[in-house]
Amino acid sequence: MNNAITLRGLTKRYGARAAVESLTIDVPTGVVAGFVGPNGAGKTTTMAMLLGLVKPSGGSGHVLGEPLDDPESYLGRVGALVEGPAFYPALTGAQNLAVLATTAGHDHSQIPGLLELVGLAARGDDRFRSYSFGMKQRLGIAAALLGNPSLLILDEPINGLDPAGVHEMRGLIGRLASGSRTVLVSSHVLAELEQVSDWLIVIDDGRLVFQGPASELLDRSGANLAVAPEHPGDLERLRGLLRAAGHESQAVDDHLEIAVDGDDPRGLAAALNRTAGEGGIVLAELRVTGASLEDRYLTIVKNGGDR
Amino acid sequence: MIKSFKAELLKLRRRRVAVVATFGALAFAVIASTAVFLSATQAGEPRGRDATIESLSQAGGATEAFALGVSFTGLVVLVLFIANVAGELSQGTIRTLLMRQPRRLALLAGKMAALLTFVAGVLALAEVLTVAASAAIAPSQDVAMTSWFGLDGLGEAASDYATALLGATLWALLGMAIAVFVRSIPVALGIGIVWAGPFEHIIQDSWTSADRWFPGLLLESLAAGGTDEVAFGRALALVAVYVAVAVSAAAIVFARRDVTG
Repeated sequence: MNNAITLRGLTKRYGARAAVESLTIDVPTGVVAGFVGPNGAGKTTTMAMLLGLVKPSGGSGHVLGEPLDDPESYLGRVGALVEGPAFYPALTGAQNLAVLATTAGHDHSQIPGLLELVGLAARGDDRFRSYSFGMKQRLGIAAALLGNPSLLILDEPINGLDPAGVHEMRGLIGRLASGSRTVLVSSHVLAELEQVSDWLIVIDDGRLVFQGPASELLDRSGANLAVAPEHPGDLERLRGLLRAAGHESQAVDDHLEIAVDGDDPRGLAAALNRTAGEGGIVLAELRVTGASLEDRYLTIVKNGGDR
Repeated sequence: MIKSFKAELLKLRRRRVAVVATFGALAFAVIASTAVFLSATQAGEPRGRDATIESLSQAGGATEAFALGVSFTGLVVLVLFIANVAGELSQGTIRTLLMRQPRRLALLAGKMAALLTFVAGVLALAEVLTVAASAAIAPSQDVAMTSWFGLDGLGEAASDYATALLGATLWALLGMAIAVFVRSIPVALGIGIVWAGPFEHIIQDSWTSADRWFPGLLLESLAAGGTDEVAFGRALALVAVYVAVAVSAAAIVFARRDVTG
C-alpha cells in the first residue's frame, strides 16, 4: 500500500528536551488517520514538521512521495489547519480565503463552494472577527481545502467546540475523507476520533506507542460480550450451554460476560446467539462492554505502548 | 513573490483602507500646507528648516510643504510596518500563509513590495493634495505661484517625491527588521518608538556628532535633503549600510526560525 506519510526516526529537540523522539510512522493513502496523544505529546510539533514550519532535529520522511526536507515540493497538495485558525480579523471569511488562494496561486472560483461545504455560505461576507469559535474552525477547514489537496492535516479541529459542533465537525471530517484523499487529524481525546478514524497513531511523550488499523486496537482491547437471557431464571442454564460450546463466562448481576480475547466480536456474538437459540433460550441482551478505543488508548498510554 | 505581492494587495485594496488612506493624506496636506505657509518668514530670514515667502515662490514652492511635512512621518511609517509585520508573526497569520507559500523570503519580499507600493501611492496622493492645498493658501500669504507649474516645478516635485519615498522605504525596512526579530507588537513598537524618538535625541543633546552616526537622526537628515552637519550622500550611504545589515539579519532569522505559537 502506498503511504501518504512516512516518517523514520523523526526527532525534534528544544535544548535538552525532546518534543518528538525517533518517531517512525506510516499513514496509508486514503485513510482517515487519527493522531492521538495527551496534551504535550508532540502531535502539533510533528504536524508542524510535516508542514515545513518547524525544522526537524533528526530523522527523515516523505510526504506524498516527496522528501520531508523539501516542503515546497509537496505543500501545494497539502491543506492544513494547525494550532487553531489564524486569519485576518478585519477581512471577511471570503476575503481571507481569497488572500490564501492568491498566495498559493489557486483559482478563486472554488471559494463559494468551500464556504457552502463548511456551512458558512451565509456568513462568508461577514468579518472574521464576528465569527464564533466553531465558525472560525470551519473557515480553517475551508482554507485547508483550497486547491483540493490530496492530504489534509488537521490539528485538534474539534477542540473547544460544543457538543453540536463536535457532531458537526465529525460529519465534516467524514465527508472530507471521500476518494483517495488522506486525512491526518489529531486530538488528545480518542473518543472524538473513534467514529471517523480507520487508522490510528498514538503517541505519548514524543514517542510512538501504537499505530495501525483502528479495528486492531479494538480487537486487542480486552473487551467482553455481555449476554443476558430474556428470563433471568435461565441464566445458569445459558451459562452451561455456553460452557459446553467452549465459551467460559462469568455471571455479573443479571447477565454473563464472555471475554473476546482477540476473537472477532461480531463472530463471537453470532456464535453465542446461535448456541442460546439452539438451547431454546431467547437473548434479551448481547453487547460489547469495556471495549471503547478510549479504554484501550488509556491503557497503552499508561503502559508506555505495546508497539 | 508575485503571488504574495498580489495577496497583500488584496488586503490593501479594500474600501475602508482606501478611505482611511485618503483622509490621512488629506489631513496631512491641509496641516502641512497650513503650517508651512502660515509660518513662512520674509525673504532672507529663514528660521532653521522653515520656509520663506521667497522660497515658496520658487519652482519648488508647490511641494515645499510636502517635503517638510513628510520628513516628520518617518516614525509613522516605522510604526505601521512594525504593527503589520509583527501582527502577522504574533497572531499566527504568517503560519497560515507559509503553509501555502513555503518559500519564506519570497513571501516576505512580496508582502513588503506590496506594502511599499501602497505607501508610494499614498505619498503620491499626499503630494498632489498638498500642492492643491498650498495653491489654495498661497494667495493669502502673498506667495507667487507663477514658477510652480513649469518643468522646473515638476522636477522639484519629482525630487521631493523620490526623497520622501526613499526615506519611507528605509524606515519601513527597519520596522520590518525590528518586527521579525521581536515578533511581539507592543515590544517591537516600544523598541522602535523609543529608539527613533527620545533615545537618539537625548544622546544628540550630549554628543553633537550623534546625527552623523545614528540611523534615526541620519534618516531625518536624509528626509531634509541633507543638512549643514550631514550631507545627503553621507546620510544615504550610512543608512543604506544600516538597513542592509538589519534586513540581511532579519532575512536569515525569518528563513531559519521555527514558526510556532
